Amino acid sequence: MIARVVLIVCAMLGLSCTPAGDRPHSPNTVLVFKHGKLSGNGAVLSDLLREFEKRYPGVVVREELLPSSSDRQHQYYAMNLDGGQAPFDLLGVDTIWAQEFAKAGWIAPLDTLLPPAEREQFFPGPIQAATFEGQLYAVPWYIDAGVLYYRRDLLERYGVAPPKTWPDLVHAAQRILDGERDAGLAGFVWQGRQYEGLICVALEVIRSNGSDLWDGDRDRAEAGLQFLRETVAGHRITPVSVGMADEESTRQVFGAGRALFMRNWPYAWSLLQREGSLVRGKVGMAPLPSFPGFASAPVLGGWLLAMPQGSAHPQEAGELIRFLTSPDAQRLVALEMGYNPTRRALYADETLVGARPLLKELYPIFLGARPRPVTPYYLMLSQAVQPEVSAVVVGRKTPHEALEAARRQVRRIIGNRELSIVTEGL
Amino acid sequence: MTEQPSTGTRQATRAVRLSERAWGYLLASPAFLLVGLVAVAPIAAALWLSLHRRLPVFGVEEFVGAWNYLQLWSDDRFWAACRTTLYFTVLSVATELLLGFGLALLLDGLTNGAGKSPRWAQVMIVVPWAIPTVVSAQIWAWLYQPDYGLLNYLLHRVNLITAPIDWLADPDWAIHAAVVMDVWKTAPFAALLLLAGLKTIPRDLYAAARVDGAGAWQQFRHITLPLLMPVVVIVLVFRTMDAVRVFDAVYVLTGGGPGNSTETLSIYAYKTLFQTLQFGYGSALATAMFLIVAALSSLYLLLLRRHLQEAT
Repeated sequence: MIARVVLIVCAMLGLSCTPAGDRPHSPNTVLVFKHGKLSGNGAVLSDLLREFEKRYPGVVVREELLPSSSDRQHQYYAMNLDGGQAPFDLLGVDTIWAQEFAKAGWIAPLDTLLPPAEREQFFPGPIQAATFEGQLYAVPWYIDAGVLYYRRDLLERYGVAPPKTWPDLVHAAQRILDGERDAGLAGFVWQGRQYEGLICVALEVIRSNGSDLWDGDRDRAEAGLQFLRETVAGHRITPVSVGMADEESTRQVFGAGRALFMRNWPYAWSLLQREGSLVRGKVGMAPLPSFPGFASAPVLGGWLLAMPQGSAHPQEAGELIRFLTSPDAQRLVALEMGYNPTRRALYADETLVGARPLLKELYPIFLGARPRPVTPYYLMLSQAVQPEVSAVVVGRKTPHEALEAARRQVRRIIGNRELSIVTEGL
Repeated sequence: MTEQPSTGTRQATRAVRLSERAWGYLLASPAFLLVGLVAVAPIAAALWLSLHRRLPVFGVEEFVGAWNYLQLWSDDRFWAACRTTLYFTVLSVATELLLGFGLALLLDGLTNGAGKSPRWAQVMIVVPWAIPTVVSAQIWAWLYQPDYGLLNYLLHRVNLITAPIDWLADPDWAIHAAVVMDVWKTAPFAALLLLAGLKTIPRDLYAAARVDGAGAWQQFRHITLPLLMPVVVIVLVFRTMDAVRVFDAVYVLTGGGPGNSTETLSIYAYKTLFQTLQFGYGSALATAMFLIVAALSSLYLLLLRRHLQEAT
């Protein structure tokens, strides 16, 4: 009885899938596009997908949204991609997952979809993040990088230029805070909660001191972390609440006019400048500062598009990836939804830059943005480092103790023999 | 067989008894099957998994015996999570029991005085218990917020603090903030169980005690407490099991931070299993947690049995 029901269900499932096999765009080809909920006007993306359907008659694209939380998306993909036969044909991949998914054999190589010559047209950071063992596994969809927001009005009032170095930022903040004598005003807010965002901030200060989390100069790495702690405890330009702060809570503090400087992603710009915002017209954006003698080191963020291994409609899914990452689609999404294109040429596009002049300032930042450690072990690494950096931020551990403990953790997880694989990409 | 004539009737009765027993098993088998499917099988599967090194991302799947458990033994983060969980459990369960007891006595007193059950009081007390944990944790996260949170505002108004305290970003406060939330949510549960227990105590026992000249404290000490002991143990078992496994309340409030100061065993297991996909090691963590819960529950039941034996 039960077996028969199962058989019938299988037959029904089979029927709905089989006709796509041999003919390229046969009717009934349903492409399931799984991705996290985007902010902004979702109708823009839907319209793009309808446009794709018009160009490829017989192909129907069904969007299936996941929660916007990156962790929960990762969990969903890990469950559904392991074991093959994923219930979708296209997926949005966080830049930090591409290596892991490729290593696991969960996503298919897309080398032929985007030939090496065409890859040059994209920013190098996301391409690096999407390349595993010499093969491309995902196509960059939109890009992000850490930037510094500042209160243009207050800096001008005190004749202070946007800081180029971290010591400059401290001096500027202290000077303005001394002058304003406003207990509700913070100097510098950033993401200090124990979560992925903290790793981005930590990498940015460590790399802007010419080091790295793993294989760089240890003293300079520790000095970078020490700076984060000092903003709270020594320089007193950062409130203690930074220990629980994420992107949105810092944006709200800065957006309420209660901070001079903020480290955040570019998405905050349009929210800070929208009508009714308390800081509208008073905000500036600059590359993140660095330590003297070193370069600014924004961390790369953003999403890629990939295809599960063993997709039933690889050709159609590939076409859709190409369509969504085409200059026209990227221009539209950038104009209407505020997501930043991964194709470099669009930053010289007159319509786009005319409507969003900020892109000009973002171009060099995106060009220099470096991915977080490019390794399939990234999530383990991040999970091991998060509590340690957080302990430094709240003053529980010295940077030296924290980095030592993080190294011990990682060594325990993967065993000494394999540590070289981890350090490779760092 | 050799004594066939004399054992004939006995055999017959045994046959009946056996078939009775068989019937019993037969009738109970759906229950056994259900428990086996939903409880025993997953536990067995987790145990089996914990003896493997299984990292699907790296195609690693090998039997490693007790390796994961040896790793646990030398894993600082595991012991830290144990300490955090234990601290959270002892503090929250003790407070819940005391507070629940107080509430139960209060409600019982109200009932007796007014002659009928005050519904409003019972409803009010159940409200925190009825709200989903994730929702109440989010509410408490707002209450704890340093700048516009209600808690700092109130403390400031009554001049208890001068500067706002960041309850969740301070590693010393954070775990206590989670305890307070948990107590708020589950003390009503303890109160309800204890109230039900109080209702079962015959009133004439108190009348008799009063005749003998026992004061309120003596009545409580020699009647209420001993007769309520089984209920107290039930409350302790339920609450301890929940507290050792605490996940959502703490995860929503702090995510385990700052500096891992609120990372409980469940949170560590979740991160290991579902975020970094170390299925073998994560299962070992889950098994360790299962053993801790089982050990604590057995301890309580042992204490209860001894108490009952002493009573009789």
